[in-house]
Amino acid sequence: MTTVEKTEVQTKKEWEPQIVAFCCNWCSYAGADLAGTSRIQYPPNARIIRVNCTGRISPEFILASLEMGADGVLISGCHPGDCHYSSGNLKLRARLAIMKMALEQAGVHPDRVRLQWASASEAQIFADGVTTIVEQVKALGPLRSEWK
Amino acid sequence: MAEPTSIAMAQGSSCWGCFQSLIDIHLNLATVLPMLDIKYWQCVADFKLKDLEGYPDKSITVGLYEGVARTEEDIHLLKTMREKCEILIAFGSCSCFGGIPCLANFSTLEECLDVKFRNNKTVKDGEVPTENLPKIAPVVVPNSTIVDFEIYLPGCPPTSKLILTALTALLTGKEIELAPHTVCHYCDRERKETPLTEILRPFEGIADPDRCLLEQGYICVGSATWGLCEGQCVNHGATCRGCFGPPPPITTDQGAAAISMFGSMAPLEPEYLAEKVLDPLGCFWRFTYPTSHLGGIRIKREEAKTK
Ligand code: SF4
Ligand code: SF4
Ligand code: SF4
Ligand code: FES
Repeated sequence: MTTVEKTEVQTKKEWEPQIVAFCCNWCSYAGADLAGTSRIQYPPNARIIRVNCTGRISPEFILASLEMGADGVLISGCHPGDCHYSSGNLKLRARLAIMKMALEQAGVHPDRVRLQWASASEAQIFADGVTTIVEQVKALGPLRSEWK
Repeated sequence: MAEPTSIAMAQGSSCWGCFQSLIDIHLNLATVLPMLDIKYWQCVADFKLKDLEGYPDKSITVGLYEGVARTEEDIHLLKTMREKCEILIAFGSCSCFGGIPCLANFSTLEECLDVKFRNNKTVKDGEVPTENLPKIAPVVVPNSTIVDFEIYLPGCPPTSKLILTALTALLTGKEIELAPHTVCHYCDRERKETPLTEILRPFEGIADPDRCLLEQGYICVGSATWGLCEGQCVNHGATCRGCFGPPPPITTDQGAAAISMFGSMAPLEPEYLAEKVLDPLGCFWRFTYPTSHLGGIRIKREEAKTK
């Protein structure tokens, strides 16, 4: 079977978005872990990357993910006021506000990026957040579909 | 004196500012010019494109290419320069990263043609000229995706001092040594590491001449910009707009780095930021859109349309 035929067969299957999820070590990463041990059901599309704090996330991470083929990016961190390093999450929130505008200007739907706050005990909030971004991105289709 | 070095200088789609900056080395031209054997230089020396095409491959030692390659003619010129020159220099930020002419990538080609020709405010019944003109590419891609360069010399334009330093080193066979610091390194303003409390447009308020402009609320991208200009804007009262592109390795995303810094300094409410930062793409990626992640996505998108 040639590669061309292969991809044709693959696209016939239902398309599933690829989501990169950056989770803060001190809250959402533990929250994601708890979601797992509590057997909470949520879509398997997110590839979780642990960061020490959402303040560590440069726009570069998000933009590189999208350029390299991710259809959406989820960022999950400590609630405002609860950041382990006091204000990393507020810094990220400011970066993201600007970046979302830039995304829109460049013709990428800003709904492809989602920011949420979920503490270590909020497994359900974390799982619901993943469901939300997956649904949001599914509604938009693959990033490439915006190119037409 | 040593034999003069053969050199070709070519201009693609650009403003001639970089070559002007070269000419602005003034009296030093008297030292540099005898060291050069000019083989091609549109507008200055009377060589035609066919002369450049006629030289044997790799017969010219140094080539400078200013500007982007937006038209078919530009692309041909850039490739010809690559064939004929041993050392090809991406001269200026247009040539290195896309620069100002690549702000056109914010819009589609049709939208650009509307503004420039069809609905141009200064002409009546404007139409897009077709006769005797080269075709325009649907989207501008970085020059480095068309040919390889040996040297990148950014700046919009590179300062005369930088050009002189680089050319003299090159002509005397020495290595070009450039400090890797960002603009902040050369900025005389005091930083107190205090977060921003408000965002100001350049015309608002009166800036303290001795304090970091960013800390005062003016968007300055000096921290994400290669300081080869030695901070000439920030030391004369204006914010850095990032014209030298990112510091080495110059392949990083300058706008992303600038926003990262900006967010660290301005942890303000998203609604307030959305109201105050009006054009993030133009503000943080003014000179490097095509070589950035977002610009890359944009280029892929425009290219997908033509396939
Ligand atoms: S880099 Fe700047 S000065 Fe040089 S040609 Fe481009 S726009 Fe003009
Ligand atoms: S951000 Fe701008 S004003 Fe502040 S120190 Fe850096 S270059 Fe100077
Ligand atoms: S301060 Fe910034 S904008 Fe001004 S010349 Fe230097 S790099 Fe360019
Ligand atoms: S430590 Fe969790 S967001 Fe900063």
